[in-house]
Formats: sequence, C-alpha cells, structure tokens
Amino acid sequence: MAKIGVVLILLIVIVAVFAPFLAPHDPTAQDLDVSQQPPVGFGSTSTEEVPVQENGSVVIEDGNIVTEERTVTENTSWSHALGTDGNGRDVLSRVIYGARTSMIVGIAGTLLAAVFGVVVGLTAGYYGGRVEDTLMRASDIMLAFPSLVLAIALVGVWGTAGIKIPDPLVVSGLSETIRSALGLAVGMPETITVPGTVIIVVALVNWVWFARVARGEALSLRGQEYVKAARAVGANNSYIIRKHVFPNAITPIMVLATIQVAAIILLESALSFLGFSGTNLSWGFDISQGRQFQSTSWWIATMPGLAIVLTVIGLNLVGDWLRDALDPDIGGEGGV
Amino acid sequence: MSLARFLLRRSLQGIFVIWGVVTVVFGLRFIAPGAPENVLLPPDVSEATRQQVAAELGLDQPLYLQYFDYIVGLPVGDMGTSLVTRTPASGRVLSTLPATLELAIAATVVAIVIAIPLGVISATRRHKPADYGATLFSLVGISTPNFWLGIMLVIIFSVQIGWFPSSRRPVGIGIDAILADLVALQLEAAASGLRDWLYYITLPAITLGTYFTALITRLTRNGMLEELGEEYVRAARAKGLPETLVRYKHALRNTLIPIITVLGLQLGTLIGGAVITERVFRWPGLGTLIINSIQARDWPVVQASIIIIGVGFVVLNILVDALYTYINPQVGEN
Amino acid sequence: MADPILDVRNLSTQFFTEEGQVNAVDSVSFTVEEGEVFGIVGESGSGKSVTALSLIDLVESPGDIVDGEIWYRNGELAEAVREDSPDAVDGTAVDLRQLSPSARRSLRGPSFSMIFQDPMSSLNPSLTVGEQIAEAVEVQRRASANPRSTRSRTQGYGLGSLLSGLVFDSREFVRSESRERAVELLDQVGIPDPEERATEYPHQFSGGMLQRAMIAQALAGEPDILIADEPTTALDVTIQAQILDQLAEIQAARGMTIVLITHNLGVIARMCDRVGVMYAGEFVEQGSLEAVFDRPTHPYTQGLLASSPTVDGAEGRLEPIEGNVPSLVDSEMPDRCYFADRCPKAMEECLDKPPELPVEDGHSAKCYLAEQEYDPETALPEGYFDE
Ligand SMILES: Nc1ncnc2c1ncn2[C@@H]1O[C@H](COP(=O)(O)OP(=O)(O)OP(=O)(O)O)[C@@H](O)[C@H]1O
Ligand code: SF4
Ligand SMILES: [Mg+2]
Repeated sequence: MAKIGVVLILLIVIVAVFAPFLAPHDPTAQDLDVSQQPPVGFGSTSTEEVPVQENGSVVIEDGNIVTEERTVTENTSWSHALGTDGNGRDVLSRVIYGARTSMIVGIAGTLLAAVFGVVVGLTAGYYGGRVEDTLMRASDIMLAFPSLVLAIALVGVWGTAGIKIPDPLVVSGLSETIRSALGLAVGMPETITVPGTVIIVVALVNWVWFARVARGEALSLRGQEYVKAARAVGANNSYIIRKHVFPNAITPIMVLATIQVAAIILLESALSFLGFSGTNLSWGFDISQGRQFQSTSWWIATMPGLAIVLTVIGLNLVGDWLRDALDPDIGGEGGV
Repeated sequence: MSLARFLLRRSLQGIFVIWGVVTVVFGLRFIAPGAPENVLLPPDVSEATRQQVAAELGLDQPLYLQYFDYIVGLPVGDMGTSLVTRTPASGRVLSTLPATLELAIAATVVAIVIAIPLGVISATRRHKPADYGATLFSLVGISTPNFWLGIMLVIIFSVQIGWFPSSRRPVGIGIDAILADLVALQLEAAASGLRDWLYYITLPAITLGTYFTALITRLTRNGMLEELGEEYVRAARAKGLPETLVRYKHALRNTLIPIITVLGLQLGTLIGGAVITERVFRWPGLGTLIINSIQARDWPVVQASIIIIGVGFVVLNILVDALYTYINPQVGEN
Repeated sequence: MADPILDVRNLSTQFFTEEGQVNAVDSVSFTVEEGEVFGIVGESGSGKSVTALSLIDLVESPGDIVDGEIWYRNGELAEAVREDSPDAVDGTAVDLRQLSPSARRSLRGPSFSMIFQDPMSSLNPSLTVGEQIAEAVEVQRRASANPRSTRSRTQGYGLGSLLSGLVFDSREFVRSESRERAVELLDQVGIPDPEERATEYPHQFSGGMLQRAMIAQALAGEPDILIADEPTTALDVTIQAQILDQLAEIQAARGMTIVLITHNLGVIARMCDRVGVMYAGEFVEQGSLEAVFDRPTHPYTQGLLASSPTVDGAEGRLEPIEGNVPSLVDSEMPDRCYFADRCPKAMEECLDKPPELPVEDGHSAKCYLAEQEYDPETALPEGYFDE
C-alpha cells in the first residue's frame, strides 16, 4: 500500500514541477467557443445517416446512395481530454497547474509550521516548568479554535495577497522549446502565484501539533543518560537541544509532517473553495467554480476534487506506513 | 478524586482557555494592517464616516478600555452590535446555532452508528473482503474534502436521480418546528415535518459525517484488533463467553475509551466541517453566518461566533473528560 | 486403570507465519486420567501453551490444529452427539475435533476452563472483578437452562443492550444469583472480604489476589478439566506456594482434573500424578511422576533433572540445558532426533531419522535409548555439531 502512496506522491510532484511542459493548454486561456465541453467519453451522442464508402467513392444501388447509421459523439475532443470549464478553459491543464498551488502551500506551510512548532516544543519540553506550562496552555487555546474558522478569519483580516514569482521553466524558454517539440501550443503563464497569506495562515493554525509532538519527545529525552551527561560536562542548552534532542525527535516529526502536508492541502483547498485564496489556479477554487455548473457540467467540479483525493490518499498511505514502521505515538489528524 | 473536584478544576482551566480565545479574537483586528476600524468598513468610505463609526464603536477609546468593556460585557452576553443588522451580535449567532447543531448532531449520530459496527466487523473479519472494503472506505473518507463530496452527492442524488433537494432549506423546517408540533400534539404535522427535515438534512449530514465515519471506523478497527489480541479476551473465551459478549462487552468497551478522547479533540474539525458543509448546501447555520460576516466585514459577529464556538468546544471537552473518567475506572482512582 | 478422561492422539498444531510453517505441536499423544493432575514441563517455546490452547480450541490465526484426535470422556455429551455424528463417539468418549466449532465453544466453561500465566493482563481492566466472574456464571446458567441450543447463551445479550451497557452500568445484565455465586467463588479461592472485593477493579488487586480471582473465574462454569498454564510463574515465591495449595485443595474437593503447565520441576513434583516432557513440539517422555523423576530415560529429561538442584523446593526452576532452543520452522527441522545436537549421548543412528515414541502403558520415551542400553562407545565425538 505504501508503494501506491509513494507512486501517487511522486506523480503529483512531477506533474506540479513540470506543469508548463505537461499541460496541453494555457490553464488561464479562455475559449468561449468550447465552453462546458464534456470529457472524452462523456459527449452527447446522436445517430446520423452517412453514405457507405468503398474505395473512396460512395456506393450507389438502385439509383440511391447507400447509407448506414452511425453513432456520432459530439462536442468532445482529445485536445480537452477532461473537458472545459464555463469559460472554455481546459480542465486538465487547470488540474495540472492546481497541483502546483497545493504542493507549494502544502510543503511551505508544513515547513513553516514545523520550524515554529518544533522550536517552541523542544524548548518547552527541554526546560520544563513555566515555559512548558505556558506552551501547553497556549496550545489548549489554539485547539479551542476550529482551524478552518480561524484560518478564514485570519485571511479575512489580512486579505489574500498572492506573490507572483517568475516561472523558471517558462521564462528560460525551456517550456517553449519542449512544447513546440511535442507539438503543443506555446505561451504558458510566465509567473507562478504563491498565495503568501494562505501559507502563513495555515502554518499559524497548525504549528501547535508540531509543538505538542516535539515537546513530548523533548520531555522523554530530557531524562536520558546521554542528555544528562552532556549537561554534566557543561554543554550549553541550545547546543544540547540541537545536537542531542532534535536528532532523536526527528522521526515522529517526519511522520507528523507527512500527515500535516495532507491536512494543509485539504485546508488550502477549503480556503480557496470559500474564496479566500491568493490564486485562481487552485483545485479548491476550481471546485467552487464548478459548483455553479453542477446541474449541467459535472466534470468541472469533479476533476479537481479527484486530484485532491488522490493526493491526500497518497500522503495518508505514506504517513500510515511511516507511522507503522517507526511507531511514534502522535495525534494530529486533521481534515476538512 | 471526586467528580465535583474534577469538574471544578476542569472548569477553571476551561475559563482560562476561553479567556485566551477572547483575547486572541479581540487582538485579531489589531493585527490587520491599517486602523482597526478599517476592517469594519468598506475601503472607499469617507474620513468623516470613518471617524463617526470609530466613535460609535468606542474605537476612539484607549485599547485597554475597549478590552475591558468587551470582557465585562461577555458574561451578560454582550458581544457588541452587528454592523450589518445593527442588532446584538450574540443574538445573531445564537439564532443560527440550532441549524448548525442539528447538522453536527445528525452527522455525529450517523458517524457513530455506522462507524463502530463497521470497525468491529472489519477487525473481526480481518483480511476478508469486508475488511478490505471498510479499510478502503476509511482511507478514501479521510482523504476526501467534504465540500467536494457534498457537490458530488448533489450532482448524483439531486441533479441526476432527484431523490434529494438541491434548493436551500426553507424556513420553518427544523427540529424546533417538529418539537413544537409534538408538544401541540399535532402528530401529523410533526410526521410531515420530520419527513421534510430528513429530506433536507440527509445529504448535508452525510457530507459532514463521512470524514468522521471514516475516522471512527479506522480507530475502532485498529483498537479492536489490539484489544482482541489481549490476554483478557482469550481468558473471556476460555471461561465460555459467547463471541458477542467477548467482542461487544469486553473488547469494544476498551476500544471506545481512548476513542472518546480523540473525538473530543476532533470537535474543532467537526465545526470547521460544518462551516464548509453549510456553504455547499446553503444551510442557514453558523458557518454561513461566519463566512457572510467575514465578507461583509461584520467583525463583531465574527468575534462572537468564534467565542461561542470556543465555549462550546471547551464545555464539550469537559463533558468528554468526565465521561472518560466515568467509564475508565483506572483514571477515577488517582 | 479406568478409561482416561482425555485421550489425545497425534495432535498437531501449526502456525503459518512469514518465516514459514511452524510446527508448534507435532503429533503429540497423551492421556489424562480423571481426577489427576497431569503436568506438562519443558523449556520456553517447546509448545506447552499451544498444546493447552489446542485442547480448549483457542488457537488463533495464523495458527490452526491441522491433525489429530482429542477424545474426551463425557457420557452426557456422547449421548447428545451420537445421533448427529456417530463417528465422533466411541462408547462414552467424544472426539472433540469432529464437533462443530459452536459445539466446542459450548464446552468451554462446563467441561474445559483455563487460567493463564499473567493475571494482570488476563482480566478486563475496565470491568469489576465480580462482574467478570458473575458473567461467566451467568452464561453457564443460561446455557444449562437450555442445553441443546447454543444460541441461548446469548439470550438477553442483544447488541442494543450490550452497546448501552458500554455507557450505563452493565450490572443489570447479570442476575443477582450469579452475583452471589461470584462472591462465593471468590471466597472459595481464599480472597478475604469477597463482597467488597467483587466490586473492585483488577488494578486494585495484587498479583496473587488477581490469580485467585482468575481461578475463581475459571471455576465459574464448574469445569471437568482445568488447564493451568504456568499459573504461578508471574508471582513471587511465597505467593506461588499459597496458590498451588489452593489449587490442590479445590482439586481435591471437586475431584477436578487439572492439566498443569510449568517450567518449574518443583511445582511438578509437588502437584502432579503424571507428567509429560515436551521438547520442540513433541512429548519426548511421559509417565507417572515417580517413573519420570526417578528413572528418566530421555537424555533431555535427565538433563532437566540434573540441572535443577532442588526438585522439592520452589526454586526448582528449569536451568537451560546447554545449546540452542531448536527452531520449529518446518523447513529448518532436521530429519533426525531433534535433540541430537544437544544430546550428550547422541549416536550414529539418532541422525538417520527421528525415533518413534513407543506407545505403551505407563512410562515411555521418544529415544533410541528407551529400548537399548547406553554404550559410551557409540556416542558421536564431541563437537560433532559445531560446524
Ligand atoms: N501466535 C503465534 N504465531 C506464531 N507462532 C507462534 C504463535 N504462538 C506460538 N507460536 C510458536 O509456537 C511455539 C510454541 O510456543 P508455546 O507458546 O506453546 O511455547 P511454551 O512452551 O508455552 O513456551 P513458554 O514457556 O515460553 O510459555 C513457539 O516456538 C512459537 O514460535
Ligand atoms: S534419540 Fe539419540 S539424540 Fe535423541 S535423545 Fe535419544 S540418544 Fe539423544
Ligand atoms: Mg507458554
């Protein structure tokens, strides 16, 4: 099972990184002529009479052109394999680009939360006493906020600033070379929008899980002989934390981080679904767009959702596997 | 330790946590860039209006006074005035609370009723199709964002099959209405009210409940597997207990004790899930109110909502802990 | 000699693990007489517990009883079974292996019961001790009220009431007579102040008291045969002696049959009438206590006895005999006497194939030396097995 998870994650990461090579269209390009076009295989069908052809010419029998009935699938094309959205944008390309946002927010948010949470947690667990009490009370308070509500409140206050950074694969011209070699349309978006506020907010909402796990580890390591020994020979505390406590706490933190990437991806998609996101290239945003077409064009909301589910399943499988293999005792589930 | 002392200690801790929540919420609007009242106002408002509003809301007073006013108002339910309706913020929050509670309780009930038997079946038929099915379900259930699940359910069951409504729930359908009919002995009205209630709540309840069903299934399965391997289970079988008793009286009891605490911690997720589920189904509850208020910059209502949720979280967790103490004899001792 | 109450023939139990098939019990045959204490002794991993679990049909996946017969003498049961499956009945004895799983299950309690090594983990931590004994009484009461139907054992234990019992006090599911009986049983096993203690939880008991409670629980169904798997190993020495005395007393009073498993030769000497010695999943020697202890035939038994200085004292624990505990994984089992690599008397012929256990009344041993005198000339050179 873990193998499936690893394959899924690798797949998503590759898709996210190489999105400008892989997406069949510019995900932001609108083409109102083909809006709401269904995915391949789901087109509406009709039957029509077509002349039977033999050796390139029609067959005439009794003075009439011989025809046969044929089922014709209308309005789908391999060019838009997963269909198009209400503005005629290619759903597949948007799903591919959406992977970038999810990965950026998932990884950057987790890193930020982990750094903050681990520093606070290790310090509290190592020193104990007041510091620890304060942390534990603070984490109780954090837990009393539903993370999604707190997140939308924060984004509501701060606004949804997105930072545009140039996409190296496009700016370098690499994408153009490769795409024209593959026969794909050129002219992909030149910037990646990083939803900066969202990253900070998801980290603020989730750091407390890291703090709790790190504190627990530090607490159990504090009494260990080698830590006592290091202290006895006069090593200073921050040195001991860095050299002895942190390396031993790394395992459960890694496991937690895997699960947290999944939780943060879910949180990000919920925020974008609710319209609190710094970018329009996001699975959650596309689902909210698709909802407006739920009675006519089911695929617009369905496809990005499937992408979320597969990504999160992959992360959960790997997280479970790590947890079983390394057996740390941690909590910190999260979902939307 | 006696239950009374336990409750007292937990209540004091709870009050501390609530104070923390209030303080954070109060502080939130000051971390916004610009003057605090800007958050409350549309950006393109004139300077005169701005100052007028600031004065009206007491924002021209020193910070500590504002904070003090807010705190002393809380115990009597004064959480400020909604900027949109000019009515008390607490009243707006409380009026939407029943719909959200209905949804949350329905989802929890669905989750518990389905998940615990499913987890037990999965554990007792290990490596059989039922187990694989349940495991797959819980993996997918934990990994599915509920807003998307809600839309999928609407597409399948409302749009395509037509079993359930895709319109929002009309006013007048709800547990309160059913109860009122029952009290008035209007049985037929109550029955039809119940039918309508189910008609509207089924899909939202499934949407909100799926994650918890999946989570509890997984916790129950893993816990049962662990418990069924314990020596006392073998001893219970050796003394002749039928398998039903072994599983449901002995193993399940010990499985559920730790699950209860996990569920306490998951209440936040439940409320977050309710917010977004309400959005999908346009459910007239607290979640819809919060999102509308944030978009309308009706900050007092947002504050009141978060504080009331925080209070609910704290109170429920105290109850969960009390229940845990009650059914786990080993904690009650020391 | 009267017919034995238990006649086990060629019983084999295997585990199917990732390392391969484990022959935990390998074609074991022995008999247990009614009213006796039959001891099973052997070093760790020799298959004692699995033998016991096979008797009471509690071998769990990945294990399974793959072969053999377990003839249990019980006139009533024989009558009840004769109609449906005549093959499973021989006189007043019934072959348990041919009964349905539910029929075997219904024998747990009234026919077989078992106590385990670790009393701390053998009682449910979240139910009172009294409740756990009373429910065992209650189940038997319900079963005997309606003996033909095994379903009746769940009467009144509908799922709904069980689930509500998780939250509410579950007392009401057990009748007050069963509760009183539980207190009586606690009294019988020597627990002071039994009424009070019945309302306490396992973690409030000391180890010795818990083991007594376990015995009371096992006695709840008035079993014919009590299997005791190292009942005193987890306890300290003085308590061990008290518990053993208690067991002996109860056995004498009820005429119960006991199968007693232990590492401890002192316990065997003190309690048992007959004894079987297990090695690598097999019974290598069995016979009356005197025969086995005074005239041990199998070199393994001789080694055991030699290595335990005080057979009578409670300290007569098994000292390990030199050499490794053999692997029971099927593919790693050699086609020779399993003990040969540790046997000081091993000979050429021991390497050809495993010796058979001569089936004869009384004393027998699974060794070529059972039929011939030991001649030091024939012994393999020292260090023969050190590659
Ligand atoms: N659940 C199991 N899965 C796999 N193998 C098992 C299992 N239970 C027992 N075995 C194997 O069966 C063999 C016999 O085990 P058993 O528990 O009967 O030994 P024992 O004589 O009771 O030892 P001890 O004195 O340590 O209790 C062991 O080698 C063990 O590897
Ligand atoms: S058969 Fe041979 S090797 Fe085995 S115990 Fe007897 S003498 Fe030793
Ligand atoms: Mg054993």
